Amino acid sequence: MKTLKLILFICITSFYTNSVAQDVLIEAESFVDKGGWVVDPQFVEQMGSPYLMAHGMGVPVENAITNVNFKEKGKYHVWARTKNWAPGNWDAPGQFKISVNGKVLKNTLGLTSGWTWEYAGKVNIESNEVEIQLSDLTGFNGRCDAIYFSQSKKMPTEAETNLASWRKAKLGETTIPEQQKSYDLVIVGGGLAGCAAAISAAEQGLNVALIHDRPVLGGNASDEIRVHTLGIYGKFERILKMIDTEHYPNGSYKAKYDQERRDKNVKSYKNIDLFLDWRAYDAISENNAIKYVDARNTATGERIRFKAPRFVDSTGDGWIGFWAGAEFSYGRESSKTYGEAWDKWGELWSPEEGDDFVMGASVLWQNEKTNEVHDFPELPWAADVAKEHKAIAGEWQWEFSRNDLHQIDDAEEIRDHMLRAIYGSFANAKKLDENKNYKLEWVSYLVGKRESRRLIGDYIYTFNDVKNLTKFEDAVVEEKRAVDVHYQINLKDSEEPDFLSEALFYKGPKYYIPYRSLYSKNISNLFMAGRNFSCSHIGLGGPRVMLTTGQMGAAVGIAAAICEKYNVTPREVYTKHLQEYLEVIEKQQ
Amino acid sequence: MTNEWKDISKDEFIFEFESLDTVYHTQISHQVRLLSNSAGAPRLFFSEIETPVCADGVCQLAHINVYWDLLGNYVGYGISPEFQLTKFEHEQFGKEDYIKLHQLLLDDNSILKRRKVSDLIDEAPVATSTIDSEVIDGISGATKTEIAESLVKGGLYSCYTIWHLVHGEAQEKMEKYLTSISSDTLMHYFLYAPYNDYQMFALRELPKEDFKEHATQILNIFRTADGVGKAYILKKIPSDILSEKEITSQFYNEFSLIDVNSRTLLINRLKSAHPDAIEILSNYLDRMTRNQLKLYLKCLNSDPNFISKNCLSNLKKASKNTGFTYHYLLREFLNKI
Repeated sequence: MKTLKLILFICITSFYTNSVAQDVLIEAESFVDKGGWVVDPQFVEQMGSPYLMAHGMGVPVENAITNVNFKEKGKYHVWARTKNWAPGNWDAPGQFKISVNGKVLKNTLGLTSGWTWEYAGKVNIESNEVEIQLSDLTGFNGRCDAIYFSQSKKMPTEAETNLASWRKAKLGETTIPEQQKSYDLVIVGGGLAGCAAAISAAEQGLNVALIHDRPVLGGNASDEIRVHTLGIYGKFERILKMIDTEHYPNGSYKAKYDQERRDKNVKSYKNIDLFLDWRAYDAISENNAIKYVDARNTATGERIRFKAPRFVDSTGDGWIGFWAGAEFSYGRESSKTYGEAWDKWGELWSPEEGDDFVMGASVLWQNEKTNEVHDFPELPWAADVAKEHKAIAGEWQWEFSRNDLHQIDDAEEIRDHMLRAIYGSFANAKKLDENKNYKLEWVSYLVGKRESRRLIGDYIYTFNDVKNLTKFEDAVVEEKRAVDVHYQINLKDSEEPDFLSEALFYKGPKYYIPYRSLYSKNISNLFMAGRNFSCSHIGLGGPRVMLTTGQMGAAVGIAAAICEKYNVTPREVYTKHLQEYLEVIEKQQ
Repeated sequence: MTNEWKDISKDEFIFEFESLDTVYHTQISHQVRLLSNSAGAPRLFFSEIETPVCADGVCQLAHINVYWDLLGNYVGYGISPEFQLTKFEHEQFGKEDYIKLHQLLLDDNSILKRRKVSDLIDEAPVATSTIDSEVIDGISGATKTEIAESLVKGGLYSCYTIWHLVHGEAQEKMEKYLTSISSDTLMHYFLYAPYNDYQMFALRELPKEDFKEHATQILNIFRTADGVGKAYILKKIPSDILSEKEITSQFYNEFSLIDVNSRTLLINRLKSAHPDAIEILSNYLDRMTRNQLKLYLKCLNSDPNFISKNCLSNLKKASKNTGFTYHYLLREFLNKI
């Protein structure tokens, strides 16, 4: 087994003893052999780092193992940064232990509310080569962000150690990534929108970087999240068919059949450099133009600075725009802001006073019926959420939004709430004799989001454009899918579970989305494609699905090529080269 | 609706609406009548509907009397004993079927709204009793299951046709008609009627300056409304009303009894409530979510005077309650003040 290279030894002077103490920080996601643990990079911006999670669906996963070189032998105190992800008056669901050179440390971990350092125990390091293992005890999503060895007894506090600067210091990072790469176009986010943008730009001759924080492409359509694609192909049927899926039911294992084909098709373009498992963490702008995007490998921590004249934000959450200072919106506008009221549905559709009660995120799951009886434990920590609800599979209605939870800032809590809903509902269903042969076949641990930040462009697309059938001179995306917005059903009936939703539909003829909604109003070299395009809350209701957002991606890829050809900004494609742009799009059919 | 049926003494024709004859593909007209009580106040819409309910003309015509409230919401139907509804192969609806039809018609967001009748016919039906992962994948998403659950078994055409009659053009015309007869008297009736839809309609129409006059009833509505209604009231109630000591006390003492989203809105409105609200909420710290508690503590932080003796005592007590998940946030807060 390889020895972990990233560990940095830092000598610090103890304030109290004036003696020199040794400490070592190990990012858990850097473990060389992850066993059955998975890397979860979804909440880096909130809790500071990707982390390892024991996603065993009730069956403890294989140990994660890594080897570390210690320069100094001696006695060490060991802490793990972890959390009890479902705190309450019951045993914590995600318990685990750490062992060092085969010795299991005394304390069980994963017991404290909120991300914090828990003391694992002390250990005598007698050789320079040290093996560390994480042992899952429950199979229910124990999580370990980092392990900290220190010869000092002073426990690191969360206040000092969740700071990016502390980690940078411990890991010896400089501010600027040493590796730098230049491209014609840098696309961040490998969902269908990002993939389509990469393909269309590459076909127009641009050298493209596609940065994606997962090992597979497709985002919500991927085998990891398994939402089926909806919408039409518009002008981009050929491109979108390369990355689309058959219409499998939400959560179906059939999602995997198209996964390989999608990845292979994107990889087949020689001028697309694909950075899988790389998560962007910053975008640096000067004079309202992005100069660089910095990204980090979700497992190794390696970093690269990406330089380009233009960028595409297809992150869904609008991170590139957010970091760069792009104007954005979040939440539901008041019905008067854009005149989007629909009396029939009143507040459920568009509130008189704006708020943050957006459409929620789904976590899909599926069962397997076998010829054997499978037990499933009673789960007090899940019963609190599932209550009496019974289910053996999920669908799109499994969705969570609450007005005090932000779909980005609180995404981990939202995901964890859904896990409790799933496990608890399945545990309830398993009490029925008719379900004795079912076992959990698959539960996603990735949040399938519907709505979060929306970057503001030169045009804000609204419900009125659907109702009025606005035919824009710069229409580049077309869609005929009904506008649908979701609400949590417990808003209408408090007896219903809080993790199920219902949809309200507005069905009309085909509608169009203008190019001006696909580039930032105030960041001069930023395109956006995906659910973070420029629209209102209700405006998002129709075009938020993946084929529509795929069209957006394909459209901005072509626009980027026009920008390159004339050395112009995205806005100038509209003001100076619209005819040529539309002609190129027309040829895509 | 219950009492409205008892005192109907006037019945007048107001408009017609049309539906498609599924046999001859022509339009059929139906009359809608306005039913008023002995005082002449409008109470219900009503229509005697006679329509084919299948595509080939073999089925018996359906005769059904439909009632809507004044907002155009379906409220009930009647069937004459000699004109029982029928389903597949002329079998008559049973008692359970009539109940299911009523439930279906109450659902104004039924999936039937978005589907053609041809979409509802599964060419290769799947027995639900054999559902496993393979079979689930054979159904087009949740759709077919959802439809099956909505319908009277064997009565697909009847259900589809009647639902669209009840929720189609007639409702749009009723909404317009209501506008033409809207008055202060009618809105007063709506506000004080025991029906959530009426109450919410009246609240939307109610000028903010009239909230004080109706504060007691608005509080009554708040107590019985669903989450949407509660949220609406908490957003709309003017600050000068909410800030009155008695009104604040009545609303904020509901904290432990209401849904989680309404609790957030109560905390959001602390700054426009009477200062007593801070202390009242300190009794319910262990009912708050993490973000609600943070919002509440942020409000406390904004003015040290908000932390009364009782409030501080409650903060300390909750910070020691290890059964409260977020007691550590209180400890951190207390350490800083």
